[in-house]
Amino acid sequence: MKTTIEGAPSFAYLHVDLDPGESVVAESDAMSSMSADLAMKASFNGGLFSGLAKKFLAGETLFVNTFTNTTGAPRRVTLVQTTPGNMREVQLNGETICLQPGAYVASTPGLKLGLRWAGFVSGIAREGFFKLTVSGTGTLWYGAYGELLERQVEGEYIVDTSHLVAYEPQLKLKLQLAGGIFSSLFGGEGFVTRVEGRGMVVIQTRSVSGLANWLNPRI
Amino acid sequence: MDIELLSRPGNAAARVFLAPGEHLTSESGAMIAMSDALTLTTTTHKRESGSVMAGLKRMLAGESLFLNHFSAGATGGEVFLAATLAGDMLRYDLRGENLVVQAGSFVACESGVNVSFGWQGFKSFLSGERAFWLHLSGTGPVILSSFGAIYPVEVDGEYIVDTGHIVAFQETLNFKITKAGGSWATAIFGGEGLVCRFSGRGTVWCQSHNARGFGLEVGPNLKPR
Repeated sequence: MKTTIEGAPSFAYLHVDLDPGESVVAESDAMSSMSADLAMKASFNGGLFSGLAKKFLAGETLFVNTFTNTTGAPRRVTLVQTTPGNMREVQLNGETICLQPGAYVASTPGLKLGLRWAGFVSGIAREGFFKLTVSGTGTLWYGAYGELLERQVEGEYIVDTSHLVAYEPQLKLKLQLAGGIFSSLFGGEGFVTRVEGRGMVVIQTRSVSGLANWLNPRI
Repeated sequence: MDIELLSRPGNAAARVFLAPGEHLTSESGAMIAMSDALTLTTTTHKRESGSVMAGLKRMLAGESLFLNHFSAGATGGEVFLAATLAGDMLRYDLRGENLVVQAGSFVACESGVNVSFGWQGFKSFLSGERAFWLHLSGTGPVILSSFGAIYPVEVDGEYIVDTGHIVAFQETLNFKITKAGGSWATAIFGGEGLVCRFSGRGTVWCQSHNARGFGLEVGPNLKPR
């Protein structure tokens, strides 16, 4: 399998060249173009109940598509995301990574997509009650709105909630107000996520809720 | 005519330098800056042909009623063009062939190119794409834009493209709107729905994003109208 991310960082998209017999799993509607002789099959994202849970609780779609090369030569499928921004490729060797809703784009078949409880406050803060976990051995592609920045957390870190994209599972996330009541209401920051522990977080430079808040008074 | 595309693929703009006597037609609203030496006229149709009816057809296609025409006098001049949405731009030189272009992607063309609106090739209303298509023919450079990065696919055989991701294609290609995957279940649940199957030889220009998809993502966060 050969993959390239093009169009980065503003409008990243992924070319996947599958060798004969290989497959790639992608989020529903992620395909923008593909060789006509690639086999494409939709399946429930992890089984029916798991798929339903992921759809209603984690903001992922109910289905994933599996593209398989049943021909004798390499074939290409191009996978995209709905938000303009960058994409990232991660190699997992048995470890787990947690993704915010909607960040998942594609993965190799060996990876398992699961759900993890994110806490009541997270759900109330409209960040979703559940997060998507990706574990196993293989390659994962995820994307965001805006550029992706990586930070190593040593102890504590604060991330504006709508900007968190991915993080390592050993990190604890707590929601808190940005500053006092005054800062939170007027500083425009509202809720922030306090990240505790040692590990990596990935943040996006833009947020959909930020854009919506800018647009709303103008509608 | 000298065309330079700037800031691809994120915030593309085109800088067009017109030599004396040259003319450029652009969709209205595309001009962001221009030399004083160029003359700008606005009509409902292309310079040499068309009519108010053509303008009305354009309006139905979601394009503006008006087209801008830039003419260079004795000294020439430059004009900067941009699309409304952030994204990429593409320059293509037509040499007597036909190009089918997504209506929202048309930015500008030289006077030797004919633009007609209301191309009905994708007759299937099931295609779900509310984009209209333009037909470009003739000779000369054409500038197209898209929300997303533009990448070309050289088709030699068969290739499938999600209809919402087509910017333009050469009319030498045959195409068919079909269901994605092998079954209706895959097409509907796989989220792809109907796709366009191109066959033959030619180029399809695809866009990595589409405004409708992004709009559906932002929309639920907006207050109701």
